[in-house]
Amino acid sequence: MMGSTFGSITDATQALNATRYALDVVQQNISNADTPGYVRQRADLAEVGPVAGAPTLYATGRTGSGVTVSGVTRMNDPVLDARQRTEHGRNEALLSQTGTLGQLENLFNEPSDSGLSEQLNTFWSSWGAVANNPGSIAARNVVLQQATGLATSLNQYNGVLTSLTQTTSAQLGQAVTDINTAAASLATVNKSIAIATAAGTPSNALLDQRDQLLMKLTSVGGATTVIQPNGTADVLIGGQNVVTGTTTTLVGLTGNVMDVGGVAVAPVDGTAGGLLNSLTSVLPSYQAQLDAVANTLATTMNNAQAAGFDLNGNPGAPMFTGTTAATITMSLAGGAGLAASGTPGGNLDASNALAIASFGTQNNSPDASYHALIGNLASQSGQVQQAAQTQASVTDSVDALVQSSDGVSLDEETSNMLTYQRAYQAAARVLTTVDSTLDQLINHTGRVGIA
Amino acid sequence: MSLRVTEGSSVRASLVGLQANAGRLADLQAQLSSGRQITKPSDSPTGTANALRLRGELSRITQYQNNATDAIGWLSTTDTVMSSIVTQLQTARTLTVQGLNQGTADATSNNAIASQIDQITKSLIALGNSSYVGRPIFGGTTSGQQAFDAVGNYIGDNGNVDRTIGPNTNVTINATGPSVFGSGATSVFTILSNISNALRTNPAALNGSLAQIDTAMQQVSASQASLGAIYNRVTVAQNNLLTDQVDRKSQLSQIQDIDIADMAIRVSSADATYQAALATTAKIRQTSLLDFVR
Repeated sequence: MMGSTFGSITDATQALNATRYALDVVQQNISNADTPGYVRQRADLAEVGPVAGAPTLYATGRTGSGVTVSGVTRMNDPVLDARQRTEHGRNEALLSQTGTLGQLENLFNEPSDSGLSEQLNTFWSSWGAVANNPGSIAARNVVLQQATGLATSLNQYNGVLTSLTQTTSAQLGQAVTDINTAAASLATVNKSIAIATAAGTPSNALLDQRDQLLMKLTSVGGATTVIQPNGTADVLIGGQNVVTGTTTTLVGLTGNVMDVGGVAVAPVDGTAGGLLNSLTSVLPSYQAQLDAVANTLATTMNNAQAAGFDLNGNPGAPMFTGTTAATITMSLAGGAGLAASGTPGGNLDASNALAIASFGTQNNSPDASYHALIGNLASQSGQVQQAAQTQASVTDSVDALVQSSDGVSLDEETSNMLTYQRAYQAAARVLTTVDSTLDQLINHTGRVGIA
Repeated sequence: MSLRVTEGSSVRASLVGLQANAGRLADLQAQLSSGRQITKPSDSPTGTANALRLRGELSRITQYQNNATDAIGWLSTTDTVMSSIVTQLQTARTLTVQGLNQGTADATSNNAIASQIDQITKSLIALGNSSYVGRPIFGGTTSGQQAFDAVGNYIGDNGNVDRTIGPNTNVTINATGPSVFGSGATSVFTILSNISNALRTNPAALNGSLAQIDTAMQQVSASQASLGAIYNRVTVAQNNLLTDQVDRKSQLSQIQDIDIADMAIRVSSADATYQAALATTAKIRQTSLLDFVR
């Protein structure tokens, strides 16, 4: 019932190795306590039992043969990780939309003394001044100046909308580039992970890298992830495979349409999803509403001009050419062309001007059209801001949970370190003891009679 | 489930709290420095809609006030002129009575009276061509400079001069020449010219003239009275406009502007909260187990 002579030394040595390895893992954790994306690791020590089925000469089996490190576990929660990625994707989409709507609000700058609403008010008032004094060229010229100002403002707003669209498009292009870069890196990491898993070597640092890339792909591209049993990750955008193992498909952008290898996709989450939503839905909608304001203004004023007579008694010429915010221009040559009069023949009747002065109160006025635009913008922006706030706090709480499960606690590592240190000392002491018993056996047994 | 607390999670939680506090403080400071509660439409969609509506109404009220002031000017001028017209007609009546009494007795005196009547006719034509801001007040909507020519023919038109003094409220503030002076055979100028001729040639024809002058005077007075009523209406409207304006301005201010005292208190309270959060963050986890391990 004896073990091998030197078996105990081997067992003690194994204990020393195992506890030293465990200390190395603790050191790794402590060194990387502040590294972003680092998931704490834990050495798994397993008891080594007697070799099963080995023939033995002895009646009772021997005891186990020490301890070994069976692996280094990465202490993450895959379910929580997946959830974290999803929430970050949604968060980025809402942040992007908040940004776009915020810029639109800055553009229109209402309510204020310099917004289009106040300009329209002043325009109608200037017609009122003409109604009081139809013979005054000065009063008529003020109306023309106001009209020109309105057209210019509409042109300017259109210009800003256009450049906002271009900027958003450029940002989407950048996002697509980022997605492709991350996808290429992920393919490389996947390859290394596959090799490491097949060879059985630890791949925790690679897995951390993989998770960083997955987070990037989800938060930029609104991607979904499938983690394979060997640790590699497949990434899909809009149902199309972007990364499968070590192969990637390029994500492209043509105008406002994203595609994966030529198949059109429309992600909803992620920065790309938010930017796409702005490009295909939000910005065109407000462009159309702005054009409607310009159209209403031009049509209303041109009809009013046609219904009246100018200072020379001729029917009024159109006041505006162009019916979109980009093209609307004031086209009357002089104040005498204002159709203030309601009767022909060249007189100082002001019934048409009187009617025009109260256009601002009507339901189909450009004012009503513009107020509706601002109302839509206000409620859409407010709603998105509210959703973004809620999403931000959800994302924060998921991040906190992940931090809590994955993060390194220095106190915990310190106490682990103490444990392993003592274990090492104890194993060393056992080794010393076994050594001294062997010494007793080898050097001091059977020396009777030796001088 | 019991949460592990790590260095990272404590720092994170503090940062999130600090950011939230700083964000609130920044918002309040923006409101305080701009003086506005609503810095962008999404701050209050209904407030924005109301503010835009009120601004429109205020702009219109200001225009109505301008219109009313102009109307008052026009109506006052017309009223003064009409009083002068009545005075002139009364003088003409007195002279006509004199002429009637004298009959054919004193031709020289009658000629003198006829000359005076002619002068009155000229005065009345001048009064008929009175103007306000460069327009003949009795000329309707003519673009010419005069309502009557040198002999009393009406050369204006019969258009209305209207002013808007309230929502859907237009008033006509002019009286055209024929409505004041009459036209054709019963126009004041024709009557006076007939009187002048009768005095010089046939005083007996003056018998019906007094009644004609009386009718003419009544027409002028009636016109004056109806314009007077419109004048009163415009004055009442002016008072209402003033009240409306004050009311709207106060509503707009409530929606748009901040209460400085209230906002200053909120800013200093948010600032104090932020300071406290900063101090707490600094005190986190200064010591760990490592300090105690030998």
